[in-house]
Amino acid sequence: MKFPVGEDTTFNWDSLEAFKAAHGDLAGQEVTVLGPWLGGDKDLFESVIPYFEEATGVDVKYSGSDSFEQQIVIDAEAGSPPDVAIFPQPGLAAGLAAKGQLKPLPDEVGTWITENYAAGDSWAKLVTYKGPDGADHVYAFPYKADVKSLVWYVPENLEDAGYEVPETLEDLKALTEQIAADGEKPWCVGLGSGGATGWPATDWVEDMMLRNNPPEDYDAWTTNELKFNDPKVVKAIDDFGWFAKNEDFVAGGVGSVAATDFRDSPKGLFASPPACYLHHAASFITTFFPEGTIVGEDADFFYMPAPADGALGQPVVGGGTLFSVLTDNPAGPAFIEFLQTPIAHEIWMAQQGFLTPHKGVNPEAYQDETVKRMGDVLLNATTFRFDGSDLMPGAIGAGAFWTGMVDFVGGKSAQEAGDAIQATWDALN
Amino acid sequence: MEGMAGRKSTLTWVVNLAALFLVVLWTIPTAGLFVSSFRDRDQIAATGWWKSLTSSQQTAFVRTGNADDQRQDGALYVLDGNVLTEGQELVAWGTSARDPGAYQPGESADVDGATLTVAEDGAYRMESATPFEMRRGERIFVTTSSPPKFTLGNYTRVLTAEGIGRAFMNTLTVTIPATVIPILIAAFAAYALAWMEFPGRALLTAAVVGLLVVPLQVALIPLLRLHNDLNIGKGYLGIWLAHTGFGLPLAIYLLRNYMAGLPREVIESARVDGATEFQIFRKIILPLSFPALASFAIFQFLWVWNDLLVATVFLGNRPEQLVMTGVLRELMGSKGGEWEILATSAFISIAVPLLVFFAMQKYLVRGLLAGSVKGG
Repeated sequence: MKFPVGEDTTFNWDSLEAFKAAHGDLAGQEVTVLGPWLGGDKDLFESVIPYFEEATGVDVKYSGSDSFEQQIVIDAEAGSPPDVAIFPQPGLAAGLAAKGQLKPLPDEVGTWITENYAAGDSWAKLVTYKGPDGADHVYAFPYKADVKSLVWYVPENLEDAGYEVPETLEDLKALTEQIAADGEKPWCVGLGSGGATGWPATDWVEDMMLRNNPPEDYDAWTTNELKFNDPKVVKAIDDFGWFAKNEDFVAGGVGSVAATDFRDSPKGLFASPPACYLHHAASFITTFFPEGTIVGEDADFFYMPAPADGALGQPVVGGGTLFSVLTDNPAGPAFIEFLQTPIAHEIWMAQQGFLTPHKGVNPEAYQDETVKRMGDVLLNATTFRFDGSDLMPGAIGAGAFWTGMVDFVGGKSAQEAGDAIQATWDALN
Repeated sequence: MEGMAGRKSTLTWVVNLAALFLVVLWTIPTAGLFVSSFRDRDQIAATGWWKSLTSSQQTAFVRTGNADDQRQDGALYVLDGNVLTEGQELVAWGTSARDPGAYQPGESADVDGATLTVAEDGAYRMESATPFEMRRGERIFVTTSSPPKFTLGNYTRVLTAEGIGRAFMNTLTVTIPATVIPILIAAFAAYALAWMEFPGRALLTAAVVGLLVVPLQVALIPLLRLHNDLNIGKGYLGIWLAHTGFGLPLAIYLLRNYMAGLPREVIESARVDGATEFQIFRKIILPLSFPALASFAIFQFLWVWNDLLVATVFLGNRPEQLVMTGVLRELMGSKGGEWEILATSAFISIAVPLLVFFAMQKYLVRGLLAGSVKGG
């Protein structure tokens, strides 16, 4: 075990004891878990599992796959599903729920999420899907979150040049113009990602949607009640274009935006002289910073600011992973219950790459100030919305939306891009 | 006629040059991958592999110590250390990201009231009359030139990765039967389709050829469901059967065409001499078909060795079930993008297929022509 039970007092060991008392009757069971995590992420997840095993006597077998999305469908359809699956995308979970492949969780789980997660209603809605009977049930439990509404920068580069961290969206635009006026490039934007090229732009557009419009519009947009070529959506795409389609604002020029790999684009921040000063990316981007970069010292982030008028509060776009039960194995629901204990969050928090909206955990468990501040972005969110492209049907959110954004930075107008994506969506129905 | 001969020799030159050009063109990506497999992640990010043989100039920064590291030297407060790592040469340095090459080695600069000097050998000394109070060290930007550098670190990392040995054994366990079984079945079937008279033979052959165009992905779910229903589940038996099934159409097609091209007289005289079908198959057809068998064996071996999809579906993703490709994929992490690991993995996983290929290549050339020319 990573942290000996009961030793470090920042952890809520009581919650583990309480869980143990309630689930002592599962000894000898085995539970298989299939998820998308490999490599370092897998090691981190597997550092949490022993606490569950120790408390219940259940043997947890985790396997990871980088083609999780295909794997889970094949396994479920063929009749050999894992007991628990970890979905990186709600759309996929909703699809399997409708086919009856997922087991509904007790209704209390929904209430629990509403009460114990920051922006709990948003989270609860995210995991409520229509079952095969057409009725709404809670089918998944969100555990581990990412924040996408972040802007990364090198503090000393900003200080040396005399720039201030912007507090509002207007300030951010002013800063962008000022850096450009000083003869430098403010932004590094890279949309490249192999077959998924274009997805980083969807995060921008989602951020813009939530900064221009109430969250209800955002929800309507993800279900296509609000059309993709609606003026509101076109405006959001154009707002992204304000940053990314201006030769003076982007390192390497607009032509390089779609060609630059998203994993390479943050490196411009660290070049000397700096190729750019700002980079919009999710919390996991730190993995792709040059080796030896100390986050919080060499690099830092600020919340992608909201408009100054404050009418829409502090909206946050994020991602997260959802745990679902697929079999009747009683150890599966027990594992979901384990994930509700603060200790299951704190063990991973104390390491790296983990954020949680759980209000009952001790924030002191975060390994450093930077991650804690990222966690605060989640906890302070007045509105939390899941990455919209993950909520849309695969053909849009993992297809037309991506290519539409590549076309948009390649020269098409926002209206044309919106029309093209909407045309694909119309063809689906 | 003399003119013709002269033209012929020019033409040969052109053909040879064109062939050489194509060979070089086709080899460049592999060569690049090979060079990249000996470079570390930062090198790959900084320069292309074609620049790996010349010394490279890089600009990076080094942090001085912070307030806790200062010592007193007479009336001055001092921070010192070295900005270079072994093998590097200092070209220029600076204190601001905007002008990283502002000073030559040996010069001094003012930094917030302190004096910073960086010597030729990389030793720096920052002195101030007042104590340093900064929480994080000052950045010194250094432009350095370093000689070409190659590392075996990627290979060590891949070869010592957790579970790679077991994965190697798993891959062999999958690959060898999955190569042998389809050859056995296909050889019998091909003989029957080529030389035994029975009604519907042509239709059956056409059906096998038709199966060649069925993408294996469409069969994954039904086949796995069948395995689950038959209680085979996920395991070696299941994956052998799957690979056999996916490999059979090509194997039968290839072998039938080759066998159909064998001289009729040999087989007929054997029949006249009273040989049974099985004797003809074993004593005449099999030895004569060796080139075709070998070439199919190479195809099937390579395909099964490199397979990831069929293995993850029919074997599983648990550590004890992973094949080589599965472990290598795991090394790449959830988000990928580690080129050095990708390049190294490619060369490590290619080693065994290369051995197989060279062991059997003299049959491959003949086998590739299998069935293409009647009697060939």
